[in-house]
Amino acid sequence: MSSPTAESFERLKCPWCQSLNVRSALACQACGAPLDVANLVSESGWRECPRIRDMTEIHFSNSTCQVEGEIVPVAEINLSPGDAIFFEHHVMLWKDGTVPLTLMPLSGGLKRAFGGMPFLISVATGPGRIAFSRDATGELVVLPLHPGMEVDVREHAFLLSSHQIQYSFVRVKGLVNILFGGQGMYMDRFVTAGSPGLLILHGYGNVFERTLKPGESIMLEPGAFLYKDSSVTMDVEFQKLGTGFFGGTTMSLARVTGPGRVGIQSMYVHHKTE
Amino acid sequence: MFCETCGSQLVPDAHFCGTCGAVVKAHEPADVLPVHAAAPPSLVAVPPPAPTAARCSWCGSPLAADTFSCPGCGGKVSEMAMGTRSGWLQLPGRKDMAKLQFGQSTCQIEGVYVPVADIRLAAGDSVYFAHHVLLWKDPDTNITTMPLKGAWKRMFAGMPLIMTQAEGPGHIAFSRDAPGELIAVPIHPGQSVDVREHLFLTATGNVTYDWFNTNVWFQTRNGDDTETHYPVGPFMDRFSGTAQPGLLLLHAAGNVFTRTLGPGETMLVKPTALIFKDPSVQMHLHFEHPQVGFLSWGSWSNRYLWLRVIGPGRIAVQSSFERLEGESRSIQSASYATETRW
Repeated sequence: MSSPTAESFERLKCPWCQSLNVRSALACQACGAPLDVANLVSESGWRECPRIRDMTEIHFSNSTCQVEGEIVPVAEINLSPGDAIFFEHHVMLWKDGTVPLTLMPLSGGLKRAFGGMPFLISVATGPGRIAFSRDATGELVVLPLHPGMEVDVREHAFLLSSHQIQYSFVRVKGLVNILFGGQGMYMDRFVTAGSPGLLILHGYGNVFERTLKPGESIMLEPGAFLYKDSSVTMDVEFQKLGTGFFGGTTMSLARVTGPGRVGIQSMYVHHKTE
Repeated sequence: MFCETCGSQLVPDAHFCGTCGAVVKAHEPADVLPVHAAAPPSLVAVPPPAPTAARCSWCGSPLAADTFSCPGCGGKVSEMAMGTRSGWLQLPGRKDMAKLQFGQSTCQIEGVYVPVADIRLAAGDSVYFAHHVLLWKDPDTNITTMPLKGAWKRMFAGMPLIMTQAEGPGHIAFSRDAPGELIAVPIHPGQSVDVREHLFLTATGNVTYDWFNTNVWFQTRNGDDTETHYPVGPFMDRFSGTAQPGLLLLHAAGNVFTRTLGPGETMLVKPTALIFKDPSVQMHLHFEHPQVGFLSWGSWSNRYLWLRVIGPGRIAVQSSFERLEGESRSIQSASYATETRW
């Protein structure tokens, strides 16, 4: 066979999400990561989440998502007929009037309130356009999920998810945030069943990820935790801070233990669970 | 005069900086020839562009063929067609230290996280601003308060909203309290723009300022108290051009997008994301009720609150927004609103 044919079958592997892309691609079509930028890994082993270039387009199912802006990035979704996404309603920036909205039935959602409102997940169904953004500077973390993947995410950190992904949440007891206190926190759990889906998070500040080996662990400030593979365990540990004389104080840290990925954010914006 | 490399004060007519040794670039006319500074703007206006010249996609200023950034708003020419798939136009990026010209004065925009508008006012030029955005000024830049009709009704952070005026010659700089973008809106003669309150940074003296009631509100009930909420604020600022072109500077949180709506074209936007609109753009509340198949909770939870904007005209939104006050409560009454039930 002639060499051009062989070359056209060559694929570039995205360093962030491992998807295969055509050789001429500048950004990964599944997660938007620039393909011409090498992984940025710190000496201590944290990998910087790829900075998605302005106006990059990401494909999922038959729909697309365009990432716009670099201060508080907007995820603009063009939904095809038959595709749907779900999200927390307060992240909607604008929408076409013609895109239907429904609520996702949730068990236990009534017990969980946010900003004085019951915790509800809204669903937008194509065709049409709808856009999302958040309330503070940060980065979009695009996680294409393949069948069999399970990811746990800090509450209120997910921006949107495609309808192929199953959603549930778990309560993590005892995990209090040093800066904000609170009665513990919820974690959103995203599971893919039959077909691949797209999950987009908004991390405040900068986002870093590392992959822990089985049994390897690291201590995190709970306010920094953003996401983890569900194979990674998270336990609360109290660290005694002695003052040398009387008393002293304790701080709680989250011990996360591999195997799997864990992601952190550099700015602690915490939306309290009421 | 200050060194452009290290910022040290220079002796007049210096060719090199005494501190860092950098070569001093050619002086600006206003620095070497103060007589020109007082000349009427018409005498020293920018040369008219060639008839075929392109225009800035953001502010409409004519662009010379060889420029890299727009003289009116500082936007990069190479980023001017950054439209999203759905037709929003992104505010073109700006080179750090980009310089805008107005009258005889200049405004340099410094920094990229929370940009500063650093203004060199020539004699005879002036700008006005709300007191809380002042970052620094020369000790001898003269500032006075500006008389405003009915301004005592408006408060910002517990203080009456007083417009303060700075007169040239001198330097003065402004910035805001959140990471975001500085928007330069050149105001042409006869043009007006309506701005959501507290986004205003500064405007040149030849832009007139007025404000009006938005008439976009809803009332909620909490026990015996009735609270009135204003999703786009009780008032909006209106800036209008006079005989001479003026410059309006706004600060928006996050990224900025604009689109021009055709006559009758509508869009639903988050009320707190609105930055500005043309006066021809109408707006009112819109309630959207999602379809709930499984069980019916109180009406207070099953709705989204939008601002419906209706063309013709231009609107701009910011990607970062405050939470809407009172959105979660039971709404007793509201200004004119449309409704969709799915």
